[in-house]
Order: sequence, then C-alpha cells, then structure tokens
Amino acid sequence: MALVHKLLNGTCILRKCPKPSVASYPFLGTRFADYCSSSLQKPAPVPGKASSQRKTEGDLQGHHQRDVALDITCPEEKPEVSFDKAIKDELKNHFWRLKDDIVNRWIGPEGRPLHEVLLEQARVVWKFRGKEDLDKWIVTSDKTIGGRSEAFLKMGKNNQSALLYGTLSSDTPQDGESSRSGYCAMISRIPRGPFERKRSYDWSQFNTLYLRVRGDGRPWMVNIREDTDIIQRKNQMYSYFMFTRGGPYWQDVKIPFSKFFFSNQGRIRDAQYQLLLDKFWRLGSPRSRCLHIWCLVSVHFLACSQPPSCCILMAEREQVLVFLLIKALIPS
Amino acid sequence: MNPLIFTTILMTVLLGTMIVMMSSHWLMIWIGFEMNLLAIIPILMKKYNPRTMEASTKYFLTQATASMLLMMAIIINLMHSGQWTITKVFNPTASIIMTSALAMKLGLTPFHFWVPEVTQGISLTSGLILLTWQKLAPMSILYQISPSINLNILLTMAVLSILVGGWGGLNQTQLRKIMAYSSIAHMGWMTAVLVYNPTLTMLNMLIYIMMTLTMFMLFIHSSSTTTLSLSHTWNKTPLTTTLILITLLSMGGLPPLSGFMPKWMIIQELTKNSSIILPTLMAIMALLNLYFYMRLTYSTSLTMFPSTNNMKMKWQFETKRITLLPPLIVMSSLLLPLTPMLSILD
Repeated sequence: MALVHKLLNGTCILRKCPKPSVASYPFLGTRFADYCSSSLQKPAPVPGKASSQRKTEGDLQGHHQRDVALDITCPEEKPEVSFDKAIKDELKNHFWRLKDDIVNRWIGPEGRPLHEVLLEQARVVWKFRGKEDLDKWIVTSDKTIGGRSEAFLKMGKNNQSALLYGTLSSDTPQDGESSRSGYCAMISRIPRGPFERKRSYDWSQFNTLYLRVRGDGRPWMVNIREDTDIIQRKNQMYSYFMFTRGGPYWQDVKIPFSKFFFSNQGRIRDAQYQLLLDKFWRLGSPRSRCLHIWCLVSVHFLACSQPPSCCILMAEREQVLVFLLIKALIPS
Repeated sequence: MNPLIFTTILMTVLLGTMIVMMSSHWLMIWIGFEMNLLAIIPILMKKYNPRTMEASTKYFLTQATASMLLMMAIIINLMHSGQWTITKVFNPTASIIMTSALAMKLGLTPFHFWVPEVTQGISLTSGLILLTWQKLAPMSILYQISPSINLNILLTMAVLSILVGGWGGLNQTQLRKIMAYSSIAHMGWMTAVLVYNPTLTMLNMLIYIMMTLTMFMLFIHSSSTTTLSLSHTWNKTPLTTTLILITLLSMGGLPPLSGFMPKWMIIQELTKNSSIILPTLMAIMALLNLYFYMRLTYSTSLTMFPSTNNMKMKWQFETKRITLLPPLIVMSSLLLPLTPMLSILD
C-alpha cells in the first residue's frame, strides 16, 4: 500500500504539483495517513501577515521574504507528468536498494564491517548539507489540528546547518475538544528499506545523544520512539529536555539515554522503563508555549556517542518526580 | 514474582509439555499445548517492560493461531477417521494443516518471523526456556505423526529454514537474535531427517538443547546481550572466552566437537536414502551459520577488543554462579567419540 502511494506520488514530479490530500484516500486508514504527512507539505506562508510580523524581528527573519516556498511553481514551467516513467523509476530504485541490501548483508551490519561497527564510539546520524537531508525530516505544528502555529525547515547559511523557524500561537482550534494549543516539531522520518519496509536504528552500543544546536534560549524537548508492531504502543515515547542558550555560538548538547523518561500519550508514567536502543525508530524535537511567539533553532548535526563517563542504565524515579514538581511551580 | 506463584507457573509449563508428550488422545495433546502456552506468558514477561509485553503478545498470537490450526486438523482427522487417537493421520488435508501448525510452533520457515522478534524482546533466561523447552512438545508430535507427513512440504520447510537461519543471522549484533536464527536453522536440520529416521531427530534435538543451554548460560554468566559486550568478556573472565569459542564452534558443526555428530549422522542417513543434492545443499548452507559463529568467536575469543570505562563497571558486580555450566560444556563439546554407540539406536 505504501509502495502504491509512493508510485502515485511519483506522478507529482519534482514537487511541482499539489500533493493529493489525505482526505481523498479514506480507505488507507490512519496509520497510512501518518505516512502521507510529508515535509514537502509545508504550509505556505501568508505573505501579508508573515512579512509584517517578521519585519519587526531583525535581519534573520527578514531573509524569509526572499525564500521560495516549496509548493509555489513557476508559471512558465509546465509540470511533467509521466506515469510510466515514474513507475519504472520507482521499481528500479526499489530493486537497486534490494540489491544493495543483499550485498551489504555480506559486508556486515548496516553495510559496514563488523569490527568497524563494534569499535566506533560516535556516529553522526543526521547532518544537514543539502536539500536531500531536509527530506529526512517532517515538520509539523498544531496547524494539523486547526491551530495557528507555523513552522518551516530550511537550509542554513553555507549549507552547513538546518534552520527550524516559525511562529507559535496559543490560540486553540475551534473544534470544541482542544483546550490547549501551540506546538511545533521536527520529527525524523522512519527509515525505510527496499519496497518501503520499515526499518529501525540499532544504537545499542551507544549511550548518549549528542546534538549541536544554536537555539533561541528557550527549552525544547527531545522525544524518542521505539519501533513497535503493536498499535497500543503508538503513543509511547521517551522524552527529555534540551535547554538552548540562544546563540551566537553553537551549543553541544549531550543527553545520556538513561535520562529519558517514559511517557504514554503525553503523560509521564509512574512505572519507568529502560530505553532499549536496539530498535530506535524516530527522533522528534517539539516546542510548545502558551504565548504567541516566534521560535528559532539551528541544527548542525545529531549524533550518538559512547562517552566513557556515562554508565547509568535508566532514569531514576526521583528524577521524574523532580520534573513534575518544577512544572507545577512555574505559572503557565 | 512471588516464588510460590513462579513455581506453580513453572510446574504448569512442565506439566503441559509432559501431557503433550505422553498423551495419545488428540484433545489432551491440544490441552497440553494450551496449558504450556498460557503458563509461559508470565515467564516471558517476568522482567516487565513494554518490549517484553510486545514480545509476549506476539508469541501468544502466533502460538494461539498454531493451536487453532492444530485443532482444525484434529477435527478434520476425526471426521475422516472417527477416532481421537494419535495413530496415523489418514487425511492428507489434516496432515498438511497439522504440519503447518507444528511448524508455526517450532518456528520453521515460512512461519519463522516471530522467533527473532520474540527472543530479542525477552530476558536471557526466558529466551533459554523459549528456545529449548518449548521445542520439545511440537517436536514430539511431529515424531509421532512422521509416517503420514507430506515429504515434499517437510523437506521444503527444512531447507528453507536452514537457509533463512543462516542468512538472517549474518548481520546480527544482538546475541538473542543470533540464537534465534541458530534455532531456526537447527530446527531445519531436525525436520529434514524426520521422515527418514526420526531417532536422529531426537538425537539432534538433545544435542541442540545442550548446546543452546550452554550458550545461554554463558551469556547469563557474562551478562551480555550484544556482540560488543561479549567482546569485552576477556576483561572480566578470560576463561569464559575460551568456553564461548568451543561452544560456538560446536554449534557450527565443526569436528571434533559434539555438534558435528548430528550433522554427520543426518547427512549419512540422507545419503543412504539416495538423496545427494539435498544434504549437499544443507551442508553448504550450514556454512552461513558457521560464518557468523566464527565472527562472534573472532571478536570474543581471538582478539582483545579495547575496553572502556563502561566495561570496567562490570568489575563491580559479582559473577553469577551457574552450577550446571561445567557438565553442559563438557557434554556440548566432548561427545563425538561416543558416536559408534549410536548403532544401538538402530
């Protein structure tokens, strides 16, 4: 089913046609709807409102006016639609990946020799050097549920980093259900093998998450999800905080995986469990706030490492209780 | 878990398997399977975390499906033969369905997908029980209905299991998954000779259980679940690395270790029955298993991997004492000279 959708998407070549909306595929189900949400479906900025807001916030935001939204097409170019070519390219791509998969199996885990995998102490998993690196991420905000926050992801200066920026609005959607709103997030895509088979990362030999970021001085959250086949575990994740300094220097954030606490549907569970890293699935970095503000963070790379000083296996219960206390004291 | 409750559950597991092995009534056999399944679930979830829960759920779903298929085959057999006794399954449909159900319980290809996932999600002790004790009941039923099993289906499943077991284990760094794929391959060897000489299946099962017990106990002893942590064993207990080397090579079927005995006997039996290509293919595919065992021994025993402070943390914990380890190591490595005694099995 995923492959069929991919093939249909192939007919909308080079992001020049509007993507078929999820609502037009009711038979595909919610699980598939998650797959359909794509970083390419970034909401186009409303020129009038966005420019008036950003003009008051300095040169960095002023550059936004010169950015071209991904879904705007040049009126002189005609979109090329070739169904046969798209199918052939897609099939060729998948069989090529299958061949690589089989060949890499002889070489070792993840296509690298075993001794290399066993001896490495740090691995950069995501870095931002071009547009193709942005495609590995999904940017989302409460606009999907009717809110008014906006978030965008673009390449930073000199193509060495990615810039996540936008506005957060605490205006709740008028649906009668939501009482709070105002979030944005960048979430890594699920790794896929040939024929869109679900894959996961094996980070069992690492114990720390390493990020190099330059934020806006506000706290962000880092969420990790494990690969699962059971739908009841869809909303379970492990979270921790990332406090950004605000620049202008890069900040190296090291979060041991033992610090991550377990939560289900956004609520921290009393029973905490060790984060098992052999089926690492997705990394997300959401930000929420109760005021109407802009948010901004640059990301240089995300990696995992094994520093010699980190030996703890899982977060202690006391750490979770401390978090709850702080949250209650600060007025929202 | 409360020791009394744990003992009761463990006894139920043992009782379930015993009922299956000793019964001649199909309904009792099915009851034995269900008792075994329901009692093993809390043992799999003994060290509770979301991953264990997921593994137990997957195990329950696959085994319940297999039990359902088994019951369907039993009823079809009852309709055609009019009896509940496990003498011979006359109806070919019932035979095929029963074979599929038992293959699902054993983890034979193409019903093998649950084995690595479940084994990876549970603790080492639970994995030990899953890959050894839980194989006895379905294998005993296969032994009893072996005269009426479709040879083509069984041999196809056997060969595919050996291939999948070898291919799937190639890329693994998780020890439990390696043992799971090893189990799939060994099940393939057992079922390949089942129709020709069921006694050799039992011999293979016995030696496989000894070797798997030894491996798991060595992993528990060194508290290792990944290849990396096993490669640091030399830092704490250097003797364990030698024992791991011997046991892994025995599992790979290298002479003069015990693991060579069942493979030798099976190839000899298949050759006696004018089957040349099949044992050749099986022997070639067994090299895949040997390859990843060798890779494991290379990183564990033949080289000294650089240790970090994380590994030195293990020095602070007392080594777990496992009483049965010495006799198991002896039996899993030194039994080959007893091979001439196997003539008494004929």
